[in-house]
Amino acid sequence: MLTYKRFIYPFTAIIGQEKMQKGLILNAINPRLGGILIRGEKGTAKSTAVRALAALLPEIEVVAGCPYNCDPEDYNRLCLNCREKLGRGERLPRARRRVPVIDLPISATEDRLVGSLDFEYAIKHGRPRFEPGILARANRGIIYVDEVNLLDDHLVDVLLDAAAMGVNIVEREGISYTHPAEFILVGTMNPEEGELRPQLLDRFGLCVQIEGVHDPGQRVEIIKRRGAFEADPLRFLTQWAGEEERLREKILTARQILPRVTIREELLALIARLCVETCTAGHRADIIMTVTARTIAALAGREEVTEADVQEAAELVLPHRVREAPAPPPEQSQPPETREEPPQQEENPESTPEQAEAPPEQPRENDGQESGEEPHGEEHKGEPEEGENSPAPPQGQDVVFAVGQPFAVRRITHGRDRILRKGSGRRSRTRTATRAGRYVRATAWLQNNDLAFDATLRAAAPHQVYREKNGMAIAIEKEDFRSKVREKRIGNFLLFVVDASGSMGAQQRMVETKGAILSLLLDAYQKRDKIGLVAFKGKTAEVLLPPTNSVEMGYKLLQELPTGGRTPLAAGLLKAYDIIKTHFYKDPNLDPLLILISDGRANVSIGEDKPLLEARRVAEIIHNDARIKTLVVDVEKDGLVTFGLARELAAALGAEYYRIDELKAGTLVQVVREMQGSGAVAKLKEIC
Amino acid sequence: MQPETIIYPFAALVGQEEMKKGLLLNAVNPKLSGILIRGEKGTAKSTAVRALAALLPEIEVVADCPFSCDPADITTMCSSCRHRLEAGEELPRTRRRMRVVDLPVSATEDRVVGTLDIERAIKKGEKHFEPGVLAQANRGILYVDEVNLLDDHVVDVLLDSAAMGVNTVEREGVSFTHPANFILVGTMNPEEGELRPQLLDRFGLCVNITGILDPGERVEIIKRRVAFEEDPEGFIARWEGEQEKLRRQILTAIEILPQVEMPEEILYLIAKIAIEMGVDGHRADLVMMKAARTMAALDGRTEVIPGDVYAIVNLALLHRMRRQPFQEMHVDQAKLREVLAQ
Repeated sequence: MLTYKRFIYPFTAIIGQEKMQKGLILNAINPRLGGILIRGEKGTAKSTAVRALAALLPEIEVVAGCPYNCDPEDYNRLCLNCREKLGRGERLPRARRRVPVIDLPISATEDRLVGSLDFEYAIKHGRPRFEPGILARANRGIIYVDEVNLLDDHLVDVLLDAAAMGVNIVEREGISYTHPAEFILVGTMNPEEGELRPQLLDRFGLCVQIEGVHDPGQRVEIIKRRGAFEADPLRFLTQWAGEEERLREKILTARQILPRVTIREELLALIARLCVETCTAGHRADIIMTVTARTIAALAGREEVTEADVQEAAELVLPHRVREAPAPPPEQSQPPETREEPPQQEENPESTPEQAEAPPEQPRENDGQESGEEPHGEEHKGEPEEGENSPAPPQGQDVVFAVGQPFAVRRITHGRDRILRKGSGRRSRTRTATRAGRYVRATAWLQNNDLAFDATLRAAAPHQVYREKNGMAIAIEKEDFRSKVREKRIGNFLLFVVDASGSMGAQQRMVETKGAILSLLLDAYQKRDKIGLVAFKGKTAEVLLPPTNSVEMGYKLLQELPTGGRTPLAAGLLKAYDIIKTHFYKDPNLDPLLILISDGRANVSIGEDKPLLEARRVAEIIHNDARIKTLVVDVEKDGLVTFGLARELAAALGAEYYRIDELKAGTLVQVVREMQGSGAVAKLKEIC
Repeated sequence: MQPETIIYPFAALVGQEEMKKGLLLNAVNPKLSGILIRGEKGTAKSTAVRALAALLPEIEVVADCPFSCDPADITTMCSSCRHRLEAGEELPRTRRRMRVVDLPVSATEDRVVGTLDIERAIKKGEKHFEPGVLAQANRGILYVDEVNLLDDHVVDVLLDSAAMGVNTVEREGVSFTHPANFILVGTMNPEEGELRPQLLDRFGLCVNITGILDPGERVEIIKRRVAFEEDPEGFIARWEGEQEKLRRQILTAIEILPQVEMPEEILYLIAKIAIEMGVDGHRADLVMMKAARTMAALDGRTEVIPGDVYAIVNLALLHRMRRQPFQEMHVDQAKLREVLAQ
């Protein structure tokens, strides 16, 4: 078959990403570094660099024809086939090849990753045979995952398992097979799209943060080189062949030096101290830092590690492992993320006397947070002082509050059901009508052209005696066809029902509430949810945002959302129920989650009943509709008097109930800190 | 559905100059990797795309090839055509208009990239590839309405192929590669949700369009549309002169594009714009460079002038501006003027 030869941009021609290049070269020298995670904005040569690395890697010796690239010298890690051959007294044929660099597309199916039953062979020869997947091809090589943070959870699990054991164990589709799978994991990600699970993060030996080049001269050079490459790739490659060869030789030399590199005792102590001071979990950081420092020395052609090597290694090893210091002592009533924003004073000075009187505290260090334009929060210590006595804005006058600090939201999911859904997203598990997802079982109903070969073969097996075979080992008829039932995560429909009444204005509750909604919106964006927004205040409820995928719209409306007036809680719930019901007509498979954000203090009713009673009635109606799941976020603060009304309402709704500060997930780890000016590097400078 | 031959002439479209410019640039230089048109319904998006295909010169294809291979160019052929040619076979030729392939929002990955013919596989034990939309779109235009509603991974596949010019299918033990050179045109209504920034970045150009507010132009639109609907053949005939002129302009541009020179100071101008406007990464620079060259070619020149950069800067930057979460997409025109004036 014709293969379209793709020309690969030479590694040495990449400009201005020295740190990333260094990290990749170090991995090329020493596979024990455990891979690298490249975090950064789009269009910064991440993928280009990884693909280019493949061309630089030295050749390895493999058993010719072995799909797992077995090393003929290493008996312990041979695959079953190679062992069998040796057992029969055969010699293993040898060949040399480049270190394989295998792409793992984020849409890959599990079968492609771990391997599956070779149906062609099974049908022709009547025997099951294992067809190797990506893990097999990547043995002794590199697996490259672009946008690794978007990888499906079940694929991540498989990768982690294999990476941890160095073996791929396949138990599926009626085959059971084990083969070596030792690989270096190289991933790229854009942090805007959500973070990685800590376990996966820890798997990457090194981590670099990159951004675009700001120097005009360098930028022009980038355009020129890229232009030249695209205009005539062959010529460009020839021009750079010399550079490439020099680097390749440097890598080879470093590999030879590496076993002889020594590290002094006091530098080991320094490494240990660095890891302790930055609160890294476990001991992997220490080990990898030592290995990295040795590899850096080898690259420089030295046989002795220097302090500078350790420093450089720390910058590569620590950033994704730094943890928050242990939780602050209990006197501090709020973790830093819950800081309240000072209100926009000019709009509403009278509502916030306690703010004006409070002596302005030093603004806190604004760690790891990018939105520089938001005002720095001031820490509130005297919770009780600003209790219930702080006046609400006068009735009838609407106030627009700022949006509070967003935070990471705890995981909110639904239970599973058997409905097939189409779509993508990352919240709830569902049976899927597309071919992505994990194969859970087979069904006799053929759909999506998604054949379950194992089940089909089993279905055909009993009929083989009397079927016409046409030269095949197995004859399969249409009625034998079985297809796969798959499961994956998709987004949900989140309907926010927000209390915008005057009572929410007291104590800046609305600021915090908006912060919480913003956090939920950010979470909704990363999980690809559909959202809607209903607000209630005064006498009525209003649909601010009909169901849409545009989280941007949600944010805009949230910013503009005014607060003031009474609390028509029942009206709000009823409106939300209406929206969900109509939406069910459009999409009966909808999986809605109603999120009520309120203190529960209803004081306006639609009909004759008392407001609180009415709200509870509506709540029960919603509770009775089993299709709707609900979540109540209580914004009432601990003050002198608490009513606990939202909790009662949650009970009536059959809802999950959280207080606003319980929504936060980021209790232990702030996963990766921005590298510049904080975290590892700063600490490092301090120590060294 | 109107018959294939009756298509509203591109030259008769009123207004929407940025969109037309973006489409023409892509027609001349498919390496610009497509255009994303953001805007409301009823703003002639789809009309313009179809009109573009009708405007472009006919192409010669291998008559019975699912990938519409070019019989004159062996380097871009699919494996089967190449085999036939190497076996000494005469490839049957035919001429036809460039195809516009529609990708419906409900499209699955299978339909897009192609799939394994299960029935044949299971009965005969052969792996046989069933071509998908990307195969159909080879050497044509792939039009994706509401691209923001497509499944993320389908968009991924699309953009991958658009960038590489090749579609690689790897599923269930099939591995198949075929040429997929197409002009990607996506449309979306931002109110329905945004595309992920990575995906946005990979559309070469992007344009925001709104309905035309000028009463005079609106009247002209109505008049022309009515005239077209009453007597399509007559209308098309009346515009044929204009169409031919445009067609010649495109053909000349395609021809001279490889010779267009890029002076050093224009490159610095591009770098300056990218830095000062605060775009992410380097794709914007590269796209501005290519688009400016194409603009020069469309203008019949073989040297890029600053005016070419000004003409395309909005198209290249709109979707690449760095923004706060949830901020709306726009290019700060005042700042841009300031940068350009320096």
